[in-house]
Amino acid sequence: MMTETSPKPTKSAVLSLNNIEVVYDHVSLAIKGVSLEVPDGGMVALLGANGAGKSTSLKAISGLLVAERGEVRRGDIQFLDHNLRSLSPQRRVELGIAHVLEGRRVFEHLTPDENLIAASAIRSRHDMIRNKDKVYTYFPRLYERRFSAAGYLSGGEQQMLAIGRALMTQPKLLMLDEPSLGLAPFLVAEIFQIISQINREEGLSVLLVEQNAIAALEIVSHGYLIESGRIVMHDTAQALKSNPDIQEFYLGGAQAKNFHDIKHYRRRKRWLT
Amino acid sequence: MDWALLAETGINGSLIGLMYSLVAMGIVLIYKSSSVPNLAQGSMTMLGAYIVLAYSSRFGAPIWLAIVLATLSMFGIGIAIERIALRRLAGRPIIMILMMTLGLEILLRAGSLTIWGATGRPMPIGISDDPLFLGALLINRAYAAGAAVAIVIFGLFALFFRTRMGVVLRAISDDYTAAWSVGISVERGVALSWAMASVVATVAGVLWASVQGVDQSLAHLLLKGVTVAVLGGMDSLGGALLAGLLLGIVEGIAGSYLDPLLGGASRDLVDAAMLIVTIMLRPHGLFGRHDIERI
Ligand SMILES: Nc1ncnc2c1ncn2[C@@H]1O[C@H](COP(=O)(O)OP(=O)(O)OP(=O)(O)O)[C@@H](O)[C@H]1O
Ligand SMILES: [Mg+2]
Repeated sequence: MMTETSPKPTKSAVLSLNNIEVVYDHVSLAIKGVSLEVPDGGMVALLGANGAGKSTSLKAISGLLVAERGEVRRGDIQFLDHNLRSLSPQRRVELGIAHVLEGRRVFEHLTPDENLIAASAIRSRHDMIRNKDKVYTYFPRLYERRFSAAGYLSGGEQQMLAIGRALMTQPKLLMLDEPSLGLAPFLVAEIFQIISQINREEGLSVLLVEQNAIAALEIVSHGYLIESGRIVMHDTAQALKSNPDIQEFYLGGAQAKNFHDIKHYRRRKRWLT
Repeated sequence: MDWALLAETGINGSLIGLMYSLVAMGIVLIYKSSSVPNLAQGSMTMLGAYIVLAYSSRFGAPIWLAIVLATLSMFGIGIAIERIALRRLAGRPIIMILMMTLGLEILLRAGSLTIWGATGRPMPIGISDDPLFLGALLINRAYAAGAAVAIVIFGLFALFFRTRMGVVLRAISDDYTAAWSVGISVERGVALSWAMASVVATVAGVLWASVQGVDQSLAHLLLKGVTVAVLGGMDSLGGALLAGLLLGIVEGIAGSYLDPLLGGASRDLVDAAMLIVTIMLRPHGLFGRHDIERI
């Protein structure tokens, strides 16, 4: 792999966020100085509670903030050789960034097949046919249901469709926003297995946003913890899994406990590794 | 009551209704892609007719060529309207966007008055005034032609929405954020829907003008278009077609019974009643999509 021309090439990263700050409606500060890296071909999790700023971080990367009157006010977003900040959402998809939205957001009145066709707007017909085959191979269940309205699929099938739709754009980086939301544990396991299979077979880098830390840490190599718009912890999945605070928080040990309270993490908020 | 007369009124009413559908389909196209109820659709219809006349009288083009040229011009005008007037309003409250389309409506009507004056002019597209005979029933030729064109246009759109580009437009109308997330150019899709609505407006303008001549009263077709679009469910082209049929029949029959009693206003009263009752009892219209219930 070639080394990127980023100022601090730690290792070859497809994506690096450097101290970004996002405001909504010009005033409301949603994330403050978030920095993170996704290594080429790697899998990284961004974990955090409700309202911590996970989705905002992803929207900053995909450019979908514009749809919500949000704006990256400070910091750099580097994707391969490109500085993303001034690019339109469409351009970022063309460069290889796919954002699977929170809540699946399939095109409900279209069939799964049409969902995949619509998601090939930036690709040729030839690519579309090849990519569709690939998606149906990863998700045979979608193939069985390809001609019924996507709105009638089960939650798990809709999540598969949302991921398949993202794959149709031929991404280099796949960003998933809470794919486990509202799914039964066995389905979460199944979908996460397919995500790591795609990561291995397609050489696709993955940025996985989750509240379900236990499941996420099973498949990623590194994790970041975000709290109130700041990264408060960054470590290997192994270390995070055995961290008592993570265990306590995500296993529901202490109801009132919040990462706000973990002061020492906030002080060393940077990803100093 | 004379059954033959009733049947004749019903059939002619249904043909007129399908011509209303043409106006409604333009409204539906724009509403589907961007959730904007276009209050300028009536004056766009009027503008389409004026542009045909401009090409044929000013530049002496034969009428069919004038229609083709006007259609192309209106395609461009539709794109320009979206680009200049509407795109900058994306994300603003819908009421501001609605007021913008109202502003366009006034602008087009006043502008046409300035340029072309208020005198009505004929639209000679060569449809004879002689009625068609359906057994003993007399059918208006211009209405029959208009209805046939409405059905053909509907068929073309039904085909178009199966193509790749049509599927992309339907995706935009389902969820534009999700459309953005897969690299669809939502702005371009919305512009295309304005262009298509402008083309439909030209066709409607020519057909209606062949019945009632070209003047600013063509813009009043907005009220028919809105009524039909709401009755059909705002986002359904098939709904617009069938609702037009229904409104035309009801209007025709009610008109022939009630006009002697109410002195000519009965059709408008029927429209108003249909519009108000639909909004009160069935806001999704007859065929509008309810959001699909999750299982
Ligand atoms: N469109 C918006 N306008 C204004 N503020 C917003 C908007 N979207 C999010 N916020 C605020 O930004 C902060 C971060 O929200 P975000 O959606 O990124 O959190 P999240 O970590 O994804 O939470 P969840 O797990 O609930 O999805 C919250 O305080 C939220 O209220
Ligand atoms: Mg979120």
